[in-house]
Parts: sequence; structure tokens; C-alpha cells
Amino acid sequence: MSTESIKMNNWHESARSFRVATWLGWQIESNWTEPFLFMIYAIARPVASALILVFMYMVIAQGGMGHPLFAYIYLGNAFYIYVASVMIGISWTVTDDREHYGILKYIYAAPIQVYFYLLGRGVAKTLTATVAVVITLAFGMLVLRIPYDFLAMNHALFWATFFLGLGALALMGILLAGVALITARHSGFIGEAVAGALYLFCGAVFPLDVLPQPLQYIGLSLPLTYWLEGLRRAVLRESISPLLAPISNEIILVILLGATLVLGLASLGFYRWCEHRAKEKGLIDMQTMY
Amino acid sequence: MKNFRRDLNIFLRTVRGRSYPRLIGMQREKSWIFFDTFLPLLATTAYVFIYRALNAPPEFTGFVVLGGAMTAYWLNVLWSMATQLYWEKETGNLSLYLIAPTSRMAILLGMALGGMAATTLRAVTVLLLGSLLFDVTFSVENWGALLLVFVLTLVALYGLGMIFASLFLLWGREAWHLAQLFQEPVFLISGFYFPVRNLGFWVSIGASIIPITFGLDAMRQLLYPQAQWGFLDVNIEIAVLALLSVLFLVLAHRMLLWMETLARREGRLTVRGQ
Amino acid sequence: MSQRFAIQTEGLGRVYQLKRKRGETAPKTLVALEGVDSEVKQGELFGLLGPNGAGKTTLIKILTTLLLPTSGRALVDGIDIVQDPQEVRRRINMVSGGETCGYGLLTVEENLWMFTQFYGLTDRVARERINEMLEVVGLSDRRKTKSHFLSTGMKQKMNFARGFLNDPQILFLDEPTLGLDVQTSRVLRDFVKRWVRERPGKTLLLTTHYMAEADELCDRVAIIDKGKILACDTPANLKRRLQRASIFKLQTTPLEMSNRFSDLPGVSKFIEHQRNGHTELNFILENENVLVKILDAVQAGGGHLLSLEKREPTLEDVFIDLVGRGFGDEETPLEVEK
Ligand SMILES: Nc1ncnc2c1ncn2[C@@H]1O[C@H](COP(=O)(O)OP(=O)(O)O)[C@@H](O)[C@H]1O
Ligand SMILES: [Mg+2]
Repeated sequence: MSTESIKMNNWHESARSFRVATWLGWQIESNWTEPFLFMIYAIARPVASALILVFMYMVIAQGGMGHPLFAYIYLGNAFYIYVASVMIGISWTVTDDREHYGILKYIYAAPIQVYFYLLGRGVAKTLTATVAVVITLAFGMLVLRIPYDFLAMNHALFWATFFLGLGALALMGILLAGVALITARHSGFIGEAVAGALYLFCGAVFPLDVLPQPLQYIGLSLPLTYWLEGLRRAVLRESISPLLAPISNEIILVILLGATLVLGLASLGFYRWCEHRAKEKGLIDMQTMY
Repeated sequence: MKNFRRDLNIFLRTVRGRSYPRLIGMQREKSWIFFDTFLPLLATTAYVFIYRALNAPPEFTGFVVLGGAMTAYWLNVLWSMATQLYWEKETGNLSLYLIAPTSRMAILLGMALGGMAATTLRAVTVLLLGSLLFDVTFSVENWGALLLVFVLTLVALYGLGMIFASLFLLWGREAWHLAQLFQEPVFLISGFYFPVRNLGFWVSIGASIIPITFGLDAMRQLLYPQAQWGFLDVNIEIAVLALLSVLFLVLAHRMLLWMETLARREGRLTVRGQ
Repeated sequence: MSQRFAIQTEGLGRVYQLKRKRGETAPKTLVALEGVDSEVKQGELFGLLGPNGAGKTTLIKILTTLLLPTSGRALVDGIDIVQDPQEVRRRINMVSGGETCGYGLLTVEENLWMFTQFYGLTDRVARERINEMLEVVGLSDRRKTKSHFLSTGMKQKMNFARGFLNDPQILFLDEPTLGLDVQTSRVLRDFVKRWVRERPGKTLLLTTHYMAEADELCDRVAIIDKGKILACDTPANLKRRLQRASIFKLQTTPLEMSNRFSDLPGVSKFIEHQRNGHTELNFILENENVLVKILDAVQAGGGHLLSLEKREPTLEDVFIDLVGRGFGDEETPLEVEK
């Protein structure tokens, strides 16, 4: 076979892996005997975590929900749903396939590119997360009367930021999947734990300026920070963070693009390495529950 | 009398046997230190900074740190108690437990105690680090009451976890989603990050079915005797927690027996992949 | 020793309620066990032989208190499994082949120790029995290995060892050698035999779908198919039923119209398999003279004889004789060994 056809083969295999995984992920996600339960599930979690913020805000700032700071907090929190969902969707796949379904070893035996398989499994999660985000935002606008105007937003900035950020998130999910591959199952989800921690640094629910200076630097080095900032600027049409305000919209997009590329390379390399270690130590089909 | 001693021996040994993997598991796989302690600490920290952004009074930092420490227990109960029998079924251990002449309650208790001990380490880490990082100072006047509240909260909470364990086993794979479904809403209604009374009287009363609600509220009142954020009088909350402890343990026992009978009758609970 | 039965069943039956599919109104049921009467004596090594789906596991689950019967009665060591399951559990243990036990993060030794605790064994007794059993299954040098690093076969051996830890009066082995290699199976079978022979009063009920295993190990064998026990006797007596019959195995070039064989007078049972490129014909004949007619028929069908073999009856032939079909084409590692 020529190099050319090998390349084509790889490409087909990757595309097929992605397709199969997307389908499988959707089957798993939508495997609800009760659609009603699914609705509650899609609504309850995000609305509950949004309400936690609402109450924290109300307890202290006795003021109304029309305050710009609240609009800022709420929007960041809504889009942050993607962070946990996509990263969990991808990294949990490894744990679930290995320890619950016990199929990870077969996936490794099949002519499938695991890297693309994992990305595909993330697609279904992204779709359900979208439902949650939309519901959270609708809840904010209709019930809490937060004055978002999605028609008048900066559409170009919004969509460019949105998709670049999702790409970056998926790639971070792969990094975590690598970690999941070489560690044991613990009570929590790795993706969830990491998402929870990033919640602190990327200014999801408060302006970065509140953090002590060293932590601000961490925030400034995370693509998620720019993702949320871009989305907020597009919707709210202003930046509330003095720290980020000097950065132009174009720079934000460039940073996101660069980060996605770097993450793409890093995740490929890191996942290969984790795979290698996992095979070396025989972790592909381990059962670690205790 | 002889039978009683024999049964007690088996009971205690079962508790010891089943708690062992929980304790040793933590020690064997050190990655939990990072994932289950360090990362949750960061998440808790995020809530501290929300209050900072809102210029909240300093005791709120303490509220959040305490809530953050208690999340460890809630997550442990959900993910390592409630879903556990289901996992045991899927790995084939459940039938081996059921054919042993031991108390099923002892098996759950072993799991719970092991999990509790392991989780306490996490909770204490979050509490200590959180307090140090954010200069949290508590002014405890009544250590006895504080300890009592804490212990009662855990007993009732793990009792609830045992009830969940039987229920989730019946619901099968759906249980997974249910555990996820419970996670955030309980953070909300039990007031992990703000005093529960802000939810209003009736919601707070309803939320008290989750032992953490009154547990947290009482502990906050005992840690900050001066602050006026409590929901009910501490003594009332202690009484409710004591009641819940007994109620949940009795219910858990009943549920287990019922679950086992159902399992034997329908013959599907020892079958995997459902 | 009293002639008390270790296991006794009367009209034991089990019907499963199948899940209703969308659109179906009447709930479906499946009869997995029907009218099983059996008596296993104390000290006996009793075998249940039957193809996949025959109901072997269902019977074991009922006897080990994991499943309730839907009809009939069962006593284990004289105790009713429905009335007093906890008392039954004190006397039994069970091992399912192909399965493991415990937690991956625990070592072999720790996993086994955990199970001894469920039976209230003191640490000293537990330690002794674990050592003894690890020696038997050949895992002594792996005692400190975390069980998720064991091979599948080793995990099965660990689980096998677990079954003996509480020194049960009655042990249930559900296809204990399933998927194990020949040598390991050999070792486990030898131990099983010794365990029953050397310890008076111990009873063992073993299910298998390997003929030779049942033949070699069991004092008595019950042949079970579709939830019913068709025959129950010593292997020798079972085979004696076919004593006057002649059993032949023929291999021929591929044959088309093989159906006609069953119509030949004197052919009591006939089974055909297509195996890589040739046809295998198994006959149970009333007498040897019929063979000539069969050979004629083969020639008439355009086939050539590749080999011809007269066999001693096996339990499989007994099964074929009883049921009219074979056990299927899967298996059998034991035949390799012979
Ligand atoms: N829990 C169950 N629900 C429904 N049908 C079952 C269940 N367990 C077994 N069966 C069915 O009962 C029959 C007997 O199964 P089993 O006892 O496992 O057979 P064996 O062990 O001899 O292979 C099979 O047809 C099987 O599909
Ligand atoms: Mg079976």
C-alpha cells in the first residue's frame, strides 16, 4: 500500500470512529425509559446550581436581579455547564466503558481510533448540555428577569468564540481521558472535579479581579477565561472586568484559536503516552472499584 | 444466647471485613488526594470568592468552607453508598454476599463506616486548608453539642444512603442518573453555600429530610454563636437529627429485607446488565 | 451416618416473568425448571448435566437461596430453603465458573479474608484455610498480588478457593471449569474429588455441560434438559442403557440427502454435523447389521467414506438417546485431553 492510501485509510478510520461513537454516545445518553425523567434531569441540575448563585447573591446583595454584576455571574455560570458536561462526557467514557460496560478492551481491539471515538462520545453530551444551557438562560430571562438580549448581541464574536471554546473543551476532555485511563475509579468524576476547580480560576462566577494576584495569572493562562469573556462581551456588549477589558475582541479570538491548536497537539501526544503506559501496566481492562 | 453471640460475631466481623476495602483502597490508590481533596477545595474556594465579589460579611467564608467540607460526605453517600449495591451486582459480588449467613445491614454498615472514615480525612483536609487559606476563625462555645450534631448528621446521612442503596438497586442503570439528579439540587436545598433559612420556612422544613440540612445549620450556629443566620433552635435541630437517625436506620433495614425478598422472587436482581 | 438427604426437591419449578416489550399486552413467561424431584445423599458428588439454558443455574440459585421457586419444595441439609434461608446459608457455599469475586484493589489474600469474615471465621482459622486453598489452586505465590493484576483464569481460581473457605457441608459448583485451561481444570477436578472422598459427610453438587467431567467426577448424574430431569443414575448405569446398542461415528465427503438415514429401520438415533469440509454422522443402532444399509445409503448419496469408528457409549450418547439431539457444536476441551 502506498503512503497516500494509508493516509486515506487512517482518515476513513478516524471519521468512522467518530461517527460510531457519536451514535453510541447518543444511544447511551438517550437511554431513558422515561422521557419525563430525562426532562427533569436536564433541567434540575443546571437550574439548581444557578439557583445556588441566585440565593448567594440575594442573601448578600439584597438588591434586584437587574444589576450588571448579576447578569455577568449568571451568564458565566450558564455557559460553564458545557465545561463539566463535555469534559465529563469524554473522560468518563474511559471509566464507564472500562469498568461498567467492560468494553474498553474491545474498543482497543477494534480497528477504531480511540482518540476520535472519545471525541464522538462527547458529542452527545454536548447536545444535552446545550438543552441545559438554553433552559438555564431562559429561566434567567423569564423568571429572574435578567435583561439579556440575544438578538442584539455581537453574533460574529459570539459564534466564533462559542465554537472555538467547545473545541478546546473537547480536547481538554481528551487530556482527562488520558488521566482516567491510568488512574483508578474514585467516587467522583475526574471531569467534574477538574471542572469544579477551573470554576475558580476562569472567572466563571465573579470577575477575575477578585482573585489574589497569583491566581489571576493562572486565570489569564486558561483558554476558558477568554472563552467566557468573549461570550459575555458578545451578549452583554461590555466587559465588567478591568483586568480583561484592555484585551480586544480580535486578540481574544486569536488566543482561543492558538489554545485550541496547542491543546490539539498536546492531547494527541498526552493521550498516546497514557495509552502506552496503560498497556504497559495492563490497565486497559482493570476493575478498581472498592 | 449462644446464637446471639454467634450472630453478633458474624455481624461485627462482616462490618470489619466490608469496611476494609474502603480503608485500604484509599491508601492503595493515592490519586484520590488530588481528585477528591485538592480539586473540591478549589471548587469551594470559588464560592468563597463569589462572596468576596459581593462584599459579604466574613462569617460567610466560614459557612462556605464548612459546606465545602460536608460536600465530601454527600458525594460519598451518593456515589459510594447509594450506587454501591448496584455496582456489587454488576461485578457479581452481590450474590456472594447474599448467600453468606450474615446480616445485609452489616455489609452496608461496613461500607458506610469505611467510607465515612475515608471521607472524614477529605473533609478535615478541606476544612483545615480552607480555614488556613481564608483566615476563618470559629468561636465554639459548646464542643459537646457540635460533636453530637456532627455524629448524628453522619448516622442519619449514611442511613439515608443505605435506603438509597436498596432503591437504586431496584432501579438499575437509571440509578446512575438519579444519583446525578440528586447531587446539585441537594447542594441547593440543604444550604451548602448559604444559610438555609433564606429558602423560606417551608422549603427549609422540606429540605430537612436530608440530614445535612439541619446538620449544617446547627453546626453553623454552634460555630458562630453570635451570628443570626440560624433556621431553628439548635436543640430542635438536634432532636430532628436524632429522630432521622433512628428512622432511616430502621427504614434501611426494612428496605433491605424487602429488596432481598423481591430479588429472590423476581430473580432479576442477581442478573447483570440491567 | 444417618441416611439423611443433603438435598431433596419435590416438584420444584421456576417460571420467570419476562419483561414486556412495547406493544405486547400479555406478560410473557419462561419455564426454566419444571417438576424437579431429586434426592442427593450425604457424602455424594452429584452432577447435573445439561446443555446451555437447561436450567442448571436456576436450580443452583434456588438451592443457594438466591431465588425463590414458583412451585414445589426444596430442602438443603433438611432445612427448607424458603422457610429458613439463613440456616441454609450457614451450611453452604457456591462457586460459579467464569466469575471472580471481591475487589480489584485488594490482594488475593485480602479478598479471600474479607469473605471469611462474612462467615464469622476468626483470623487464625481464616489464615489457615486461605493458605491451604491457595496451595490447592496454585496461587500461593500470588497471595500479595492485587486481584486486578491477575489473569482471568487466576481470578477464577481465587473465586474457586473462596467457595471452600467456610468449610461448607454442601458445596454448589456451577460449571466450575468453564473457560479454564486443561491443566487447571484437571487440578480443580482432582481436588473436588478428594474433598468429597476424604471428608465424610461433605456433599457436592456440580453442574456442567462437559460430558467427560460429569462422567469422571460424579457418583450420580442427573441429565437435565429444558428444565426437566430426564434421567438420574450413576454414569455407568446410564451408559448401560445403551449397552445393547451399537454406536458408530462416520466421516464422509459432504453429503446432501442425509435425512433418509433416520428412516432406515434399525436406526434409533442419528445426528449429523458439518465439519470443515466433511460430514460427520453419529448413529445409535439397534444392532450392527444396520451398518451395511447405512454404508449403501452413503454411496447412493454420492458420498465417500473417510473414516468409520465404533465407540463405547458416552454420556453424550445417553443424552442423544434421551433427547434426540446433541449438545451442540461448542466445546469440548476435555476431549482434547483424552
Ligand atoms: N433472571 C432470568 N429472567 C428470565 N429468564 C431467565 C433468567 N435466568 C435464566 N433465565 C432463562 O432460564 C433458562 C434456564 O437458564 P439457566 O438456569 O441459566 O440455564 P443453564 O445454567 O443450564 O445454562 C434459560 O432459557 C434462560 O434464558
Ligand atoms: Mg448456567
